[in-house]
Amino acid sequence: MQLGFVGLGVMGRPMALHLLRAGHQVAVWARGSASCRPLLEAGAVSCGSAAAVARRSQVVFTVITAGSDVEQVTFGADGLAEGFAAGSILVDMSTIAPEMARSLAQRLSLHGVDMLDAPVSGGEQGAIAATLAIMVGGQAAVLERVRPLLELLGRKIVHVGDSGAGQVAKACNQMVMVAAIQAVAEALHFSRAAGVDPARVRQALAGGSAGSRVLEVMGKKMVARDFDAGVEARLHHKDYAAVIAEAHRLGVPLPVSGQVGQQLNALMAMGWGSSDTATLLRVLEAGRQSR
Amino acid sequence: MKIGFIGLGIMGRPMALNLLRGGHPITVWARRAESMQPLLDAGASAAASPAALAAVVDLVISMVADAPDVEQVMLGEQGVASAGRAGQVAVDMSTIRPAAARDIAARLLDKGIDFLDAPVSGGEVGAVAGTLSIMVGGSEAAFATAHPAFACMGKNIVHVGDSGAGQVAKAANQIVTGVGVLTVAEALNFAAKSGVDPARVREALLGGFAYSKILENHGQRMLDRNFKPGFKSWMHQKDMNIVMQSAHELGLCLPVSAATAQMYNAMVGSGLGAEDSIAILKLLERLSGGED
Repeated sequence: MQLGFVGLGVMGRPMALHLLRAGHQVAVWARGSASCRPLLEAGAVSCGSAAAVARRSQVVFTVITAGSDVEQVTFGADGLAEGFAAGSILVDMSTIAPEMARSLAQRLSLHGVDMLDAPVSGGEQGAIAATLAIMVGGQAAVLERVRPLLELLGRKIVHVGDSGAGQVAKACNQMVMVAAIQAVAEALHFSRAAGVDPARVRQALAGGSAGSRVLEVMGKKMVARDFDAGVEARLHHKDYAAVIAEAHRLGVPLPVSGQVGQQLNALMAMGWGSSDTATLLRVLEAGRQSR
Repeated sequence: MKIGFIGLGIMGRPMALNLLRGGHPITVWARRAESMQPLLDAGASAAASPAALAAVVDLVISMVADAPDVEQVMLGEQGVASAGRAGQVAVDMSTIRPAAARDIAARLLDKGIDFLDAPVSGGEVGAVAGTLSIMVGGSEAAFATAHPAFACMGKNIVHVGDSGAGQVAKAANQIVTGVGVLTVAEALNFAAKSGVDPARVREALLGGFAYSKILENHGQRMLDRNFKPGFKSWMHQKDMNIVMQSAHELGLCLPVSAATAQMYNAMVGSGLGAEDSIAILKLLERLSGGED
């Protein structure tokens, strides 16, 4: 199939490679042209604009940081919308606000283009291993047309509901995950302050009701004091602004998310945005030192 | 000084009336024509648009709901900027994000219009009595121009700093009052649920370090169970959202404000949005096994 891929960062690059390796033709465009190179070496076709990618593709994937960037790539000058033929499909795998996803889908439908919001969870490792969890919003029939492609990228593909539903699920994913990272950071910080080896505490907890993927993966990073990203904390900080804005819009109280958002703000203020979110541990330690 | 006034809601109407009483000729515009009537009855003239208003006055004042509304009346089609003159002063007294106020100021300055952000504190009571606190951001010259108008509407008029500084002060004001109302409600609910008369607790606290205007005024209204606005809780929810957005932009840790913002979300979500912000007491009671 003729595919397009826009956004070849840490996540996008391995995802596009999986599509290429499965025998699909993949047209790519990225603002930093260096990020295209590994793809071009693997046989991808380089295009001069997002519109050019859309012109030669039946399905285009986007994996971009911010909602405003997705809008720009889609509807800006030389954007995807200029190149799409009616009947094309846009699969946006970025994490953006549900409202933005709904608005983009609605505007694309005026061009006869179907859009799915299909954000992912699983990080760089999941993208490389093609084991991502993919949360899809949009029409079921459209999902069925691209499901074989999504199966090349992830292991768990869930149709959550209509347009925007994938992004709602992703927001829930971020709430549960980052709050768990904060809880693990607090537990390990607490145990160290109490004079107990946090590595052993983590080990003890792993077997019981507090066991979790976050305790396993992020807890291990914290114990090893390995703060190299993984997922850069600034991206979770961005996601939390969307969560808090949505809570405000809906009139829904999210007391824990509200607090976690503040810890992420503190992390950003300390200049640690490019580190892993395990750095939430260092935010707690900074508070202790300054007393 | 000929003054144009845009936005004649609960706050804008009495503020414009006080300008009239201060002897200034007033031209008004509002989205809903019927909201202009009380001002026209009192001797103001009506304009067909913000642009038409800007064309005939020396000073433009807006008092609307949120940043997109300010942007619309100042910079939108038929906005103030499309008819304003270089050297004219425009004042927005709404509560909006500091970053949005700075952006509007910069865009108006391109047209030669000097913009002040001048949000107020004191509520409807203060607007009617002409005793508002006015927190102003912008140039010294524009502040001097607008001061006679401010003097008709408020008592405590402070030039806080450059563009946006008034909104920063207002956001700080909303942190203290938003958290304060919640704190007083928690304390009175705590007293009542502990089987102690909350009225006596309030009285005892008034003499000590826990004294505040909020304990005195809002506390009394909580005891009276008088939840009529006043200041509607959906507006405080909006203001706490401004605080949270600014904290995100600046990388600030505001844990207590964040908790308060979530409580206001719960108020609006549970149908208390149109009641005074002291109705947060009702929410606490529901979360604590109901009213006694």
